[in-house]
Parts: sequence; structure tokens; C-alpha cells
Amino acid sequence: MGSVFSHHNTNADRSAGDRRRHKNKIEKAIKDGIHDIVAEESIIGQNGKKKIRIPVKGIKEYKFVYGNNNNEKAGAGGDADIQKGKKYQKGKKKKGKGGGDKPGNKKGEEFYEVEVTLEELTEYLFKDLNLPELEKKQMKEIMSEQWRRKGYRNEGIRPRLSKKETAKRRIKRKKAAERAGSYDPESDEHFGYIENDLRYKHIKRDTKYATNACIFFIMDVSGSMSKEKKFLARSFFFLLYHFIRSKYEKTEIVFVSHDTQPYEVDEDKFFNRGSSGGTLVSPALNYVLEQAEKRFNPKSWNVYAFHCSDGDNWLSDMDAAIEASRKLKNMCQLYGYCQIEPGHDDMKWLSDSKGLASVYEWMVDDKFKSVFINGKDDVWKAFKAFFGANL
Amino acid sequence: MSDWSLRDLQEWDDRICDLAKDHGLDWYPITYETCDYFEMLGNMAYHGMPTHYGHWSYGKSFEVQHQRYQLGMTGLPYELIINSNPCISYLMKENPLYLQILIMAHCVGHSDFFKTNRTFAHTRADTVVPRMRNAKKRIQSYIEDPSIGIDKVEKIIDAAHSLSYQVPRFPHDIRDIRQERSEWQKANRRSLNSGEITERRFNALPYQPEYDVLGFISSYARGLKDWQRDIIEIVRDEAHYFMPQIRTKVMNEGWACFWHFKILNELNLPQKYHIPFLKSHNQVVRPHITSINPYHVGFHLFNKIEERHGLDECFIAREVHHDESFLRQYLTREDCEELNLFSFSENTDMIEVKEVSDEEGWKHVKNVLLKQIGSNSIPVIYVDFVEDDTLILYHEHDGRRDLELSYAEKVIDHTKQLWNNDVKLITLIDDAPFEI
Repeated sequence: MGSVFSHHNTNADRSAGDRRRHKNKIEKAIKDGIHDIVAEESIIGQNGKKKIRIPVKGIKEYKFVYGNNNNEKAGAGGDADIQKGKKYQKGKKKKGKGGGDKPGNKKGEEFYEVEVTLEELTEYLFKDLNLPELEKKQMKEIMSEQWRRKGYRNEGIRPRLSKKETAKRRIKRKKAAERAGSYDPESDEHFGYIENDLRYKHIKRDTKYATNACIFFIMDVSGSMSKEKKFLARSFFFLLYHFIRSKYEKTEIVFVSHDTQPYEVDEDKFFNRGSSGGTLVSPALNYVLEQAEKRFNPKSWNVYAFHCSDGDNWLSDMDAAIEASRKLKNMCQLYGYCQIEPGHDDMKWLSDSKGLASVYEWMVDDKFKSVFINGKDDVWKAFKAFFGANL
Repeated sequence: MSDWSLRDLQEWDDRICDLAKDHGLDWYPITYETCDYFEMLGNMAYHGMPTHYGHWSYGKSFEVQHQRYQLGMTGLPYELIINSNPCISYLMKENPLYLQILIMAHCVGHSDFFKTNRTFAHTRADTVVPRMRNAKKRIQSYIEDPSIGIDKVEKIIDAAHSLSYQVPRFPHDIRDIRQERSEWQKANRRSLNSGEITERRFNALPYQPEYDVLGFISSYARGLKDWQRDIIEIVRDEAHYFMPQIRTKVMNEGWACFWHFKILNELNLPQKYHIPFLKSHNQVVRPHITSINPYHVGFHLFNKIEERHGLDECFIAREVHHDESFLRQYLTREDCEELNLFSFSENTDMIEVKEVSDEEGWKHVKNVLLKQIGSNSIPVIYVDFVEDDTLILYHEHDGRRDLELSYAEKVIDHTKQLWNNDVKLITLIDDAPFEI
């Protein structure tokens, strides 16, 4: 007895519908749990048009599964010399043949990456967000005109002839002729260009509304900023970055981290720098003031400043910090202050609120906002507090 | 481009089948369908079923596989075959001829296993394809029904899927749970009248622990609409169908590898095929460090059984065992040592070796292995009783592993949706009774 063979040509993309449903769920999850999408790697893509991959926690399918207590497992050791009681660094686990993996009877975070363009991402993120009034009033809109390439036409002036497109036409025609039998490639016959092959680059005048913004990301990295606090700060800055980027053509970002001294750093250092030292806020704010004056003329740039801190500051520096903040507020379109206090519940900071947030309280208005972040859930709330109109 | 035509496959297949027949393999005829890798991923997402109802989880499954492939985390699947009569298997156009030969021999092993292993006795392989096709049609009609729609259908499928591993593990036909109970009551009416059993016992629901949780819900849940019950039954049927494959992964793959290796060695492949075949074979049966590769363990064991007890014993084993009983019976200290098995605990970035397969340790390692093999990686839950319309589920704690509560809570939420009333789960957490 033999088997039956057939070519399989139907259902070419049978899972398309189910993938779409799944994608909808992910989009919803992204919107619902904004903090979950904060990427592990370098969060700031240089190119605004670039596709970015964001790790998304899988939409879980819940089943009864075992937890992590007593998780002793058996496994094979290959050629390795496995010794009792010894500890080994985990290698990257490679899964075996794909076919065998039935959906999870194991617990485990499923992460996978969704590729979205920055535009799509910002749309997910900011679709429902009310933009603050001040943006409309105070944004400078600079008109610029540019000539842009826009496809090909079959009429045009000689200098804009596209040799590549023209050649492609001829090749297409030649191949078609070969198939039709009207041209024999073996023969010496010359297969030349004809008028119809010619293609010209087309250009079009484009008017653009360009806006310029510079943002100062200021983060306290003093000894009191724990890993968790920095994670929250980073999540916040992630959102901020993409939000601002989606609104402005040109965005300059200046990363300033500070303990008792301000340091202008690159993105990578900004997020990964170790913490140490005490805290002085005013030198950092003064540094920002100075740099903003020097590098970005506030008349043509929209200046933003956001400061994440756990609220600690030397008492002796408080007056100077307030003065610097006041100046900064006057210069900026929006100056945001974010006090990160993980583990604090709301009641606590109401009752014995020390720290910068209480010192700044009198300044709060449309141009200066102060929020608290106590946990992951607050990151998005804080964000909305800055940019949603009435929160 | 491929180095083969259907005709080549046919010729090699004839030779494979002849050899397999000489060896006494007994398999469902196989239908091979060729497809490209994208279609293959699509078929994999639906467990190889030619038609299957749609649900977002299959879209997810596709994406996960597709992505892992693109990141180079996994190779393309070599083989995908379903337990049906005739078996349906997919061959990827991109694969070279030697690999197709290997896969076809491998599939004969699987098909033999599906047909002869006792665990599969009630999977109704003759009708599975039309059953799935029908299920798809019905679910599609509910989705298109303006009074139901996809959102409601999806919710029920979500909920039913959360219980899809909670079906009886031992091979059995799908039972009529109501009927069974009334027969039991009929048989025990006399004992009731004579006072041997109490009225409470007589009216107990269920009359015995019911491991078929979906079946119980579909039989007794109040207010289920017909379409809802139908969806639950569809998921239940599929769960029964797949349970044997969960329980025999090591044996099934081991048996298929055992035979593709034997047959390909007997085929006298030309050198240009033989060497890449050996390479692929070794790739498939290599150990996966810190986990159990069923191909590796299964292949090793069937070879050892042949060595120790002869080929006939292999045939007996493949008929009567499932993974747990198979390993319990045949895995010796020598095997544990040769496979270099060890037990370990792990945290996020380290593993700590607990026991190795030496004189004192191997039994412990084997026991740990038995606990994670087959269906033992799935917690056992049964319907204990129904009181005031509350469904009480009971977790049979294995003495070691607690349930993951965050998951269990969600499953209970899903179960409430199906049961249309309160649901409780009783389990042990840190050796103390715990109720969700």
C-alpha cells in the first residue's frame, strides 16, 4: 500500500481572520495597560518613520497550571558534567522543533514582539488623549516649502528621466515578447527602447507645518532613587518621548541626570546610570535654564522640561530650587514635575507630604504641573494629568 | 527550488511502505499534502486539522510560531501529522528530498502509533476530520447569527478553552453524564429504600467525582442556550481527542524516530542523501539541555528495549503504554545515566542541580521526571459536588506543586460564565486548605 500525494493550494492564509482578532485584542491590551509596553531595550528610536518593535505581553489563555513552589524539574544534561549541588548560569533556552509545542500547560510569560510604526504606536497611545489647550495657542508653526519626489509619470523634461524605471519597462516588454513568441532572444535582433518605455520622475511642491520643540528630561539619580523608582521614571519618559515626537517635526531631547551635580548624558547613560550621592535640585535646573537660553531660542523653540525625582532635596537648597523652577516655568510651554514614591499609598503623601511636590504646590497652574507616581498604574495617569485638559 | 517531484516522493514512499509492512507496522493510510512554509505555519496553528473553527488563540499561535521562526529561535517544523483515518500529513515544498524521505518514514511510525496504541482507542480517527468541519460550520453560523455574533461566541470559547485540559485522562468514549447518573440511581434505589445509603448520597450530584468538567457543565449548567452548550461540547470533544497525544508525546515521537531511523538505514540511500539524513536525525534526537526532548528520550528508550528485550517487546510497549507507564517500566538507572538526566530547581537566571543520575540519585530524578511527563504537567481537577447551585471543584494536590493562583482565579471566572452560577475551587496552598 502506498500513500496519497497531493498539492495543497487552498487556504493559503487560513489564519488571517484569527490573527486579526488577536491583533485587535493586543491593540486593546496596549491601550488598556500602557505600562506593559515599555520596552526593555533602548527606547528611543532615532528615526521617526522607522518601524519599532514593542514587546507585548501575550494575551493569556488561562488554564489550571502549577505555580512556582517546589518547581523541581528533570532535564537532560547532554555532554555536560552535571554535579550535584552545583549552580549553573542559565543559557538561552532554545525550544526544540516547533511542531511539538502545544499551547501552554506551562505557566510562563509569553512575550512577543509586535511591529508597529511609530505613527501607529502613537495612535494607540494618544488617540483618546485630550491635548492641552496651550499647545494650540502657543505652538509656533513654521511654514516650510519643499519639493518632494512623488512617483513617476510618462511625460516630463529630459533631466528628470528615470533610467532605472525606463529600463524596467523595456525589460518587461522584452520578457512579454519572449513569452508571446514575438521575439527570439537567441536572435541578433535588437530590442530597443520605444517612446512608451520612458518614465520621468515627478516632483511636487509640498507645504509643511514644522514645529520645533526641545525637551529637557531631568532625572534624579541620587542614591535614594532605587531601581524601581528609576523604572517608573523611565516608563514615564518613554511615553513622553513618543508623545512629543508625534506632535512635532523636530524634537531635540536633552537628557540631564543629576545628584548634587547636573550631568548631560546620552540616552543610554540616562536610563542606566548607577545611583549615588546626595541630591541638589537647583544646580540641575539652573543648568537647564542656561542650556535652553544658549542652544534653543525660546522665541522659536517650544521648550519643555520634565523632572522626575523622589522628592528629596537638601533643605538648604529648597529656596534656590524654587527660584530656578519659577524661572523655568516662565520659559517653558510646559514644565512638569513628577514625584515618584513607589509603595506610598495616596493617603500617606496627603498626610505627611514633604519633598518638592509640597514645596512646588503654590506654583501649579496651566504651565506647571506636578504629579505623583506611586506605581506602574500611575504612569499613564500622570501622563494624562500633564496632557489631558482637566484631570 | 526543490530537488524532487511528486513522482519521486511516490517512489520513495512505496519503498518505505514495503519495508514498514515487512516489519509488521500497521498504520492508517497517509495522505500527504505539499504546502509552503507559510501554509505550514497556518496548518500548525490549527494542530494540522484541515478545517477547524476560528478563534483568536490560533491567530496568536500562528504569530508566535512565525515570529520564533523569523528570529531564528526555531527551525521549520519537519513534520505535522494528524491522528485521522486516513492520516493527513503536510510536506513542505522547501524541504529537500532526503528530508521528505525521512519525514515520510517518520509519519508511518506516527500513523502506526495512532492506530495501535491503546490510549488512542476512543479518538474516533475515522470521523475526526468531518467532525471538525462540522464544528467549524456550526460555530461559523453562530458567529453570523445576528442575535449572537462573534463577541459572544468568543467569550464562550475563551471560557471553554480554559477548561480544555480538564477531561478524563484515561481512554474513554465521550460519556452521557446524565444518563450514567440516572442508571446509577436506578441500580441503587433498593439500597436507598433499605437505608444502606442516605438520601443525600443517593441524590449527590455528581454521584462520583467527575473529571470531565466540561462534560459536567454542559450536562447540568442552568440556562445554557443551545448554541452555548454546542460550543462547550465541541471543545470537549476536541479535548478528548487531543488528550492521548499529550499523554504519549515521548512514546509517539520515540516510536516514529525509531522507525524512520531503521527504515532509512534499510533503504540504502545514496551517499548524498545518507549523510544529510544522519545530520538531520541527530539534530532531531539531540538532548535539549535542562529540558526533556521527547524525541531524544523516546528514541533512546525504544532502542534500549529492542536491545534488552527484543523487537517484539517494542511492539507490545507501543500498544499498551502511555508515557508515564512507559518510563516507569523501562527507564533504568543506566538509561538515566546515559541520557545524563538530572533534577534541578531554577530561578530567573540560575539553575541549581538537586540530584544527578548516580547510585543514590537516579530514582529521585526518575520520580521528578515522571511527575512532569505526559498529562502529569496538568493539575487534576474534578467536580466534587453541587450545593445550592454552587459548583464545587476540587484540586487533587500531588503533594508537591501548588496551583498558580493568579491563573486559577481567572479560570474560575471563566467557569462561572459557563456554569451561570457561583463556582468554588478547593485546593491546598502551602499545605493549608485554600478556597477560591
